[in-house]
Amino acid sequence: MKKKVLTVDDSRTIRNMLLVTLNNAGFETIQAEDGVEGLEVLEGCNPDVIVTDINMPRLDGFGFIEGVRRNEKYRAVPILVLTTESDAEKKNRARQAGATGWIVKPFDPAKLIDAIERVTA
Amino acid sequence: MDMNEIKEIFFQECEEQLAELESGLLKLNDGDRDPETVNAVFRAVHSIKGGAGAFGLDDLVAFAHVFETTLDCVRSNKLEPGPDVLKVMLKSADVLADLVTASRDGGGVDEARSRGLVKELEALANGETLAPAAHVEAPKAAAAPAAPMPAPTDESGFQPIPFSFDDEPETSTFEVTFKPRRELYSKGNEAALLLRDLSRLGEMSIHCDIDSLPDLDKMDPEASYFGWTIFVTTEKSEDDIRAVFEFAEWDCDLEVKPVGAAETSEELPMVPVPFDLSALDDEPAVETSAVEETVAAAVSAAQTASDVSKVAAAAARVEKKEAAAPAAAAQNNAAQNNAAAAAAAAGQTIRVDLDRVDRLINLVGELVINQAMLSQSVIENDATGTSAVNMGLEELQQLTREIQDSVMAIRAQPVKPVFQRMSRIVREVADMVGKQIRLVTEGENTEVDKTVIDKIAEPLTHMIRNAVDHGIESPEKREAAGKDPEGTIKLSAKHRSGRILIELQDDGGGINRERVKQKAIDNDLISPDANLSDEEIDNLIFAPGFSTADQISDISGRGVGMDVVKRSIQALGGRISISSRPGLGSTFTMSLPLTLAVLDGMVVTVAGQTLVVPLTAIVETLQPEASAIHSFGATQRLISIRNSFCPLVDVGRILNFRATQANPVEGVALLVESEGGGQRALMVDAIQGQRQVVIKSLEANYTHVPGIAAATILGDGRVALILDVDAVVAASRGQSLRAEMSLAATG
Amino acid sequence: MAAKKAASGSLKLPSVLDLNEATALHGKLMSMRGSNVVIDASGVERMGVQCVQVLAAGAKTWKADKKSFLVEKASDAFEKTMQLIGINLDTLIAKEI
Repeated sequence: MKKKVLTVDDSRTIRNMLLVTLNNAGFETIQAEDGVEGLEVLEGCNPDVIVTDINMPRLDGFGFIEGVRRNEKYRAVPILVLTTESDAEKKNRARQAGATGWIVKPFDPAKLIDAIERVTA
Repeated sequence: MDMNEIKEIFFQECEEQLAELESGLLKLNDGDRDPETVNAVFRAVHSIKGGAGAFGLDDLVAFAHVFETTLDCVRSNKLEPGPDVLKVMLKSADVLADLVTASRDGGGVDEARSRGLVKELEALANGETLAPAAHVEAPKAAAAPAAPMPAPTDESGFQPIPFSFDDEPETSTFEVTFKPRRELYSKGNEAALLLRDLSRLGEMSIHCDIDSLPDLDKMDPEASYFGWTIFVTTEKSEDDIRAVFEFAEWDCDLEVKPVGAAETSEELPMVPVPFDLSALDDEPAVETSAVEETVAAAVSAAQTASDVSKVAAAAARVEKKEAAAPAAAAQNNAAQNNAAAAAAAAGQTIRVDLDRVDRLINLVGELVINQAMLSQSVIENDATGTSAVNMGLEELQQLTREIQDSVMAIRAQPVKPVFQRMSRIVREVADMVGKQIRLVTEGENTEVDKTVIDKIAEPLTHMIRNAVDHGIESPEKREAAGKDPEGTIKLSAKHRSGRILIELQDDGGGINRERVKQKAIDNDLISPDANLSDEEIDNLIFAPGFSTADQISDISGRGVGMDVVKRSIQALGGRISISSRPGLGSTFTMSLPLTLAVLDGMVVTVAGQTLVVPLTAIVETLQPEASAIHSFGATQRLISIRNSFCPLVDVGRILNFRATQANPVEGVALLVESEGGGQRALMVDAIQGQRQVVIKSLEANYTHVPGIAAATILGDGRVALILDVDAVVAASRGQSLRAEMSLAATG
Repeated sequence: MAAKKAASGSLKLPSVLDLNEATALHGKLMSMRGSNVVIDASGVERMGVQCVQVLAAGAKTWKADKKSFLVEKASDAFEKTMQLIGINLDTLIAKEI
């Protein structure tokens, strides 16, 4: 059974990279463009892991993570945050919002897959 | 999809982000303080940086990073985006755009400029973040933004990756004590997975401490009761072991210490014991058997300890490879479908290859022609026009037209990107000539065919430069005239009767008619005693080679005048005109077709052939009278129209449809405006009517024919050629050279 | 007689025993308190520590109650997780009743 990953990122470039990387690694990938869409898609998609960006329009990564953690059904899903090394503050905020772990940009396929493997069974 | 394609997407996205960035900055410049505007600006730069990082575009990343840091100060209200700040930011946006272009197309950027801006941006970020630190008591808040790239700290969770010695085959044993808190679980981490990863580092023996586990009825199922003592024998370092807990270390109690040196390593920071070399010797040289013994001893000690609760726990040895991941949970098919549907509904736009759209447009063009042919043949066989087939055909015609319009709309795009490019040009040129100018845009969402958008950028750029360079006065001059020292250029777009109307308005000094007239006289464009209306004088600036600048400046281009602009607009089937009020400014008005795929044409007959003349080129049509025709030399003829003479061009002769010139009195004259600005009377035999035709490229289907722009297929199935008016006029020029001279003399 | 009737029950563990399942599992066990119980672990594909905690607390409590608490048909995933986290349910269970 393929593991299912929900990615939430407003950048088309990053979305495509995530898609290619995850598909190549044998994951099933579902994508959303911002936090609001992420929460919509979450319902009925039942992901094994979520990968989300922080800076997004409408609903940012913090709000999205809080939304997932408040969701009765999906609150236990591991959430990985895409972040840059410079924003330690943001990483802390993401953690407080309920993030499981993070992937430090620049985007590196090996790091992504490794982080996903770490938080999923 | 491969990396190159994603890179292509990245550059497309950069264009969008740059547009977003610029429009956001301009909004801020207008006093907009909506946090979402600032956020959008920040996100644009952040997003460019993120993608650039993935492709290793280091220059782009470096600049975007500095820019982003300064924007973050604005976002967190540490830096007020005043006019000076925004000036730097707008320039930075330009440099960012240059860097994107350089990354995509190769080539360099103005490094001095970008370095200068980096300094200015850093100064803004530092200058303003240090200031509030003086009165904000919390030193932490000020420190964070001042050092946007802090050294790895425990607080931020960064464990610097240690470089390990190349050849260190020895293993060492570590004692890991690990007790999760409930937050660890509620954030989606799982102790079992951490233990799994730990077991993969080497040999592991584990003891689970369940002492704090209460009875079932007293327990909180989501609390954390278990804790572990683990002995790991591995080639890896202590940092590698800690790295396993990277995501979890805030939410657990964790201790990692090398076995045998536990005390020493723990006490060292606190007790200033002199460094003991012998202790160091002992440490790494733990032999395997010693390790086994140590582990066994420790485990049994732990077991004894847990006897207090009278619960015996087993020490389970987990082999390296045994801890394979259990299969993921079964998935529900229906749920997957739902997700796919949701994802699809959320996407509001799709990207389509332009070729596909063009193919569709072509096919619809065929459909229109086919429908017209069908209608015609039905009409020919149904004189009354009442048959059911005829009625049905009318509906078909309606539908075809709607399909055509809808398909055309696919290619339609807002003029916004072009308009946004103009604001950069205004900034740069104004900077260069020391003027203060703001660009106001209106109707930037007006849509027009993509080809038209691509092609208006150049003439528009030229006009904008002209307006900045010549239109708007210097600040001193403006103040002296009682005007705002800051000039305004307004660029607007709107739809009007099936065309797009683009207006460029400046509040400068207007056309200096005396000077324009004098220049035209000097350049032999008009005779000194010509009596011209204000409008006619204004339009002289479109005459070839006319330039009002006393010296040719770099900015407006070398010797390239408004005549070139006019020619490009006309090549698009458009028209341009100017109106000017002295002291108040000038307005250029361009009217362009919404698409280049269809054309409004006048269908005419020439020597038995059917031709289409673009309607935009035709000024008027007239029936020449014998008295108006004047022979000039051997072959030239002029027609007098309202006291001026205009060369007469026989289209049939020029295109070699016939050997001798036709009698003008038997035909119709189409007065056209040619690229030179002069008028010509094109002689055709008869006018059939006006209609919209679908343009078919001759080059693509046949070969280039001089004097012919394209072809179309008429309702009766005949191919009609579309006249290239400029080419026809140019071809006639050799013969009409003398006529032109006489025109200037006659005035 | 009533005591005997309630003397045995069985519980089939769901395939995913994550954070969300811990409370549900706790509730199910609580409702079976006082009777012998057979846990069917054959369908377990993924199990987190919190559910193991509930099972361990159950085993401990059943032992105190002198009732039997048996895990049957443990799946590979179940066995492996138990081994990984160093828990042997058997040691928590009263061998004889």
